[in-house]
Amino acid sequence: MAGFGAPRWRFLWRCAASPLALRRPGRALLWSRGYGQDAGSEANKKKSDVTKPCFMDELVQSLLSKMTGLDLQKVFRPIKQELKPPTYKLMTEKQLAEATRKAIEEAKELLKMPPVLSEREPIDDVLAEDRILEGTETIKYVFTDTTYSTPHRERFIVVREPSGVLRKASWEERDRMIQVYFPREGRKLVPPPIFKDENLKTVFREDRHEEVLNLCIAQFEPDSADYIRVHHQTYEDIDKHAKYDLLRSTRHFGGMVWYLVNRKKTDGLLIDMIQRNLIDDATCLINLYHMLHPDCQSAKEVKEEDAYGVDLIKVFMKTESKKVGYIELALQAYQEALASSAAL
Amino acid sequence: MVHLAHLLMKNYHGGHVAIRLALGGCANRPFFRIVAAHNKRARDGKYLEQVGCYDPLPNSHNEKLVGLNIERIKHWIGCGAHVTKPVEKLLGLSGFFPLHPMTITNAERLRKRRALKAETASEEETPGCSTECDQNYLPTILFFQKISHRTSPL
Repeated sequence: MAGFGAPRWRFLWRCAASPLALRRPGRALLWSRGYGQDAGSEANKKKSDVTKPCFMDELVQSLLSKMTGLDLQKVFRPIKQELKPPTYKLMTEKQLAEATRKAIEEAKELLKMPPVLSEREPIDDVLAEDRILEGTETIKYVFTDTTYSTPHRERFIVVREPSGVLRKASWEERDRMIQVYFPREGRKLVPPPIFKDENLKTVFREDRHEEVLNLCIAQFEPDSADYIRVHHQTYEDIDKHAKYDLLRSTRHFGGMVWYLVNRKKTDGLLIDMIQRNLIDDATCLINLYHMLHPDCQSAKEVKEEDAYGVDLIKVFMKTESKKVGYIELALQAYQEALASSAAL
Repeated sequence: MVHLAHLLMKNYHGGHVAIRLALGGCANRPFFRIVAAHNKRARDGKYLEQVGCYDPLPNSHNEKLVGLNIERIKHWIGCGAHVTKPVEKLLGLSGFFPLHPMTITNAERLRKRRALKAETASEEETPGCSTECDQNYLPTILFFQKISHRTSPL
């Protein structure tokens, strides 16, 4: 037939790439790769966004992990597993120290923060239009490239519509197809109903925020709309009811702090930290706030005065916070407790 | 040691490798595997490699799923495998091959048949047509109706 001359593979099967080329290794490697916006190429930008810190910057990560804390009892608390009788070992002091050190390293692995990304852009790329085929079928065909060695982000997944249009699959279709041909543990084809808004409210009432977040990480991609929505709703609920301690010493704490600091809702968290006598964490939080909002008044005052510890909190409290009264009270209580324990 | 493997393996004279659909599944539930096999083997028999799958029944999202291991398909075609018509049509629909001529031909035929039906339907409605005209068209209408029952996308 003279109708379809040269082969079309020239302009088909173009790279379906997003800028985040991802290999498919284990979970630890998954997030140690450079995820997120460019942190390096900002020297030539305007002054307003010269040093906008990224979630994955080392400085930011160190501040967040300091605030997360390392409560071994909570990190290694019993999870639902096969019932085995406990094993007891007799160790010397040295061996115990060694075992604790290994436990701390493992805990740090478990506490690696999941990435915080902006929502992904929808894909609408048409590869070919063959209007001749219009009306021949009522059903669309979804073609997936099941080559084992291509990363999932670069995989070709195309859809031939009944109208004859050959287009790239949308993100939801992509996720579904990849789960069909390369099933991942913990991920279901249809997202479980726990992620609907009404059910989330029930779960929050039972204080099971961490479980929901773990399920969310297993089910959705970090840059999908559902992931971001569930995470934001969880953080809002925690902030509303001041349940910060639920996430302390888990891998979700860093993400929550990042969310709150970006939206300048740090007051509740600050009060909670002062009440639990975590002044170092409070200073870390304020430093992070100044890093992200270098133009705010307290940042400028701190630069001039160079305050530390409780003074830093006082400066921040006067300039930036909305719940000045509560923070003052908490600080007073803390200082009285300090004074009385020093007197003892 | 006695080497008997080559005596026990099946040898074909003048056969070729084909990439074709092997039927599986259950009663009233077909499922095809796209398979690289020797031409002379049974349709569902021993194959060299499975290179994809095709589910002819649409799922809950009204989609027919086709998985293709493009790297291996390219390898077998590079080794000189022949591709059967249904697989060629599938690959044409996917964009890996150009559209198969029979896909286009069938689409055009369907269009013509539908246009003809629409025309005859509109002519039957209008009273201006003479009875003699209708009797001449009747055998051709019946003939096309018979063909239209045999349409399928592939």
